[in-house]
Amino acid sequence: MTVEIEFDTSWQEGLMEKITNDGPWGNYELYKLAVEVEKHTVIDEFEGLQAPKHLPNLTPLPHQLEVAKQVVENMNGKAILADEVGLGKTIEAGLILKEYMIRGLVKKVLILVPASLVTQWSMELTSKFYIPAVSQRKSYVWEQCDVVVSSIDTAKRDPHREIILNQDYDLIIIDEAHKLKNNKTKNYEFVQSLKKKFCLLLTATPIQNRIGEIFNLVSLLKPGHLGNESVFNEKYKKDSRDINDNEHLKELVNKVMIRNRRADTGIEWTKRKVETIPIELSKEEQDLYNSVTELRSEGDWTATSAFSVMTLQREACSSREAVFFTLKNMLERKDNPSKEYQDQITYLIEKVNAVHTNSKAVKALELIQNVNDKVIIFTEYRATQLYLQWFLKQNGISSVPFRGGFKRGKKDWMRQLFENNVQVLIATEAGGEGINLQFCNHIINFDLPWNPMRLEQRIGRIHRLGQEKDVMIYNFATKGTVEEHVLKLLHEKINLFEKVIGDLDDILTRLEFGSFEEHLSDIFGNSTSEGEMRIKMDNLASMIQFAEEVKEGDYRAATGNS
Amino acid sequence: MQQQEIHNFLVEYFTANNCEILENNGSYLSVQLTIELDKELMNRPFYWHYLEKTGGVPNPMKLILITNQKNTPDHIKGEVIHFGSPRLHQIFRSTKNLAGYIRLYEDHHASMGQQVPLRPWLGMNVKISYQCDRKRDVFRSIGLQLINGHMVENFHDELLKLPLARKIPDYSFTLSPLIMPKSGVTRIQNMIRLNILEEDHTWATDARERWSKDLRLLEHFYEETEEKGESYENEKRALQEQYEPKVQISIINGGIFYLSEEAI
Repeated sequence: MTVEIEFDTSWQEGLMEKITNDGPWGNYELYKLAVEVEKHTVIDEFEGLQAPKHLPNLTPLPHQLEVAKQVVENMNGKAILADEVGLGKTIEAGLILKEYMIRGLVKKVLILVPASLVTQWSMELTSKFYIPAVSQRKSYVWEQCDVVVSSIDTAKRDPHREIILNQDYDLIIIDEAHKLKNNKTKNYEFVQSLKKKFCLLLTATPIQNRIGEIFNLVSLLKPGHLGNESVFNEKYKKDSRDINDNEHLKELVNKVMIRNRRADTGIEWTKRKVETIPIELSKEEQDLYNSVTELRSEGDWTATSAFSVMTLQREACSSREAVFFTLKNMLERKDNPSKEYQDQITYLIEKVNAVHTNSKAVKALELIQNVNDKVIIFTEYRATQLYLQWFLKQNGISSVPFRGGFKRGKKDWMRQLFENNVQVLIATEAGGEGINLQFCNHIINFDLPWNPMRLEQRIGRIHRLGQEKDVMIYNFATKGTVEEHVLKLLHEKINLFEKVIGDLDDILTRLEFGSFEEHLSDIFGNSTSEGEMRIKMDNLASMIQFAEEVKEGDYRAATGNS
Repeated sequence: MQQQEIHNFLVEYFTANNCEILENNGSYLSVQLTIELDKELMNRPFYWHYLEKTGGVPNPMKLILITNQKNTPDHIKGEVIHFGSPRLHQIFRSTKNLAGYIRLYEDHHASMGQQVPLRPWLGMNVKISYQCDRKRDVFRSIGLQLINGHMVENFHDELLKLPLARKIPDYSFTLSPLIMPKSGVTRIQNMIRLNILEEDHTWATDARERWSKDLRLLEHFYEETEEKGESYENEKRALQEQYEPKVQISIINGGIFYLSEEAI
């Protein structure tokens, strides 16, 4: 085997020049320093990382080191890091970044993260990795600073957009990258047009095994690698959702994606304890819920939108404020509402007004007082959030709100207040993502999201590395409502809360099955009777059970046991 | 290199370049740059060009470098230096730039009246980089005696044991080389080349294998496309750049050393 050998000849020419001109010769102290420097920067093994040697304040976990090593050695710095929530993807990305900086391969870096995480990212990079990462606050930062952390929403807006697109980045890191799986969005188009050498996409939600999503994410990493989009789609569509059936796709995905499960890490995790708390609705609350549910059978309403009915039902399980807010909107947004329509809404508003207590809130208060420790309450509705804050205050408990729409500074401030000053943080769905709250170990799911992925995100906020106590999850379920059914399905039949969601992906894939959310919204939105709902749900549960059995069978076959 | 080592290195670098250290508390460093070092590090050619044209008073910059943020008071505004920071890389490069070539004499202490002959040596510190999708470096320091052609390894370490001076000491004279420095460099090159050829190159075979595997995968995604187009070619080129094994030899620094017969 011959290998090409390149000899740097410029030094020799320089030497001749110095000899002819009798100097000028260098300084011996610097000469020795240069050799010292070189000995420090030499990479003496093909394999292995340099970065950990230079980070005395950081002890990365084995799986984090392994990820960094894989990305640098085998993936050429283009990878999707898809560890489960809470395994330290930031540390992994930091290690990779540091490694490339040490090797002199990376200088200019752009890090795009959710607004609530901007400060946290720059703090971690600075304190753990000695990388002076700057949170973008002024527009000149893009050009003048080498490592900039920003939210994608800021970055893609004028005047930043133009400046950023003009930079040549060595490395781009994108947190919560699953939001980029659709190539029709502005965010996707923006990220695609960035000039970059290396790229890390971080996501706790793995590519959901859909061909189109794979195409889009891989195309961000390696443009052109998958050929033409339409040809690609045509070719692989027939394999439907199960990429595992196609060797080439599987090989490809393994080349660009790393995913660690909690179970693989060998770390002792604190336990998750799940408690379902049944809530008995008061007579008036039950009446409101029933009135909303009855809308379903009245032809006119179902035609307008099954979604509204479902939404109202879910809201009725949360708070009267949430229902009222939606009703008000429905009235205001409708052009020329008919008399019947107006009457119907007015009728419902009366039902809302009849409600004077919130049984869930009362229960929550009791729980918070008993726990006597920090508690996070998650709700899907802003109206409920506001109400809860007021209600707790009335009872002498101060709380802070948290929403996705908060500006970064406000998010940091709320997090800090929660850590140091107040007992309760009330977060809406959008606020669940991208904030680390491992100093707290109690979560109340005041109402349930119907997408199990979101539940995992919620729990992942506190059940992550750094959590020292067992995590308590309290699920509120109002008796005799959709909520109870959902919870029953999620908790008892699929055993969701103790399992980590990744396992479920495989199952869903195996079923060629559509998203969980779609199924649930079908079950709860289109079923005409309680009985139908129950049958459909049992059906869903047994499909999942079946898939699990198939999976286990596969596993045994693969390992050769009978 | 840990933060303290970086700090010490910076102090040595600036001291060796005759910069005044204004403040040094072990966590940060305030340095008054000389004109030369301002030009070397601060990247403001227009300022210097303008100044030379107009004949103004040169005002080289002060540089504040922070190696330990925790122990640095907030009002100190400076650049945070870490292993891997572009500024440190720049200073590393500059160290090499400023000391690429050297000529030294052994500062022997021979007794009076005795004339000591000093023999010329060519010394070269080289970095051999084995590069494919991964990278490995080997540092070698080789010395070649320019009279008898004797070659030694770890030449730099040998030099560190000797007292060396920029000027020829008293009671000494230099012998003229029989081998010209230019062909000396070629001899060292050839020796390195020969050594490399004799090495085991499994790493390169493995890299080529990984390369062709990736190529096959790429081909697969294009096999039904008639017009493969630019993106295909780009991707193919990217794979070549990533995997193609080669050995690159760069010279860190070196020079001519006049040493007594007993020295090495």
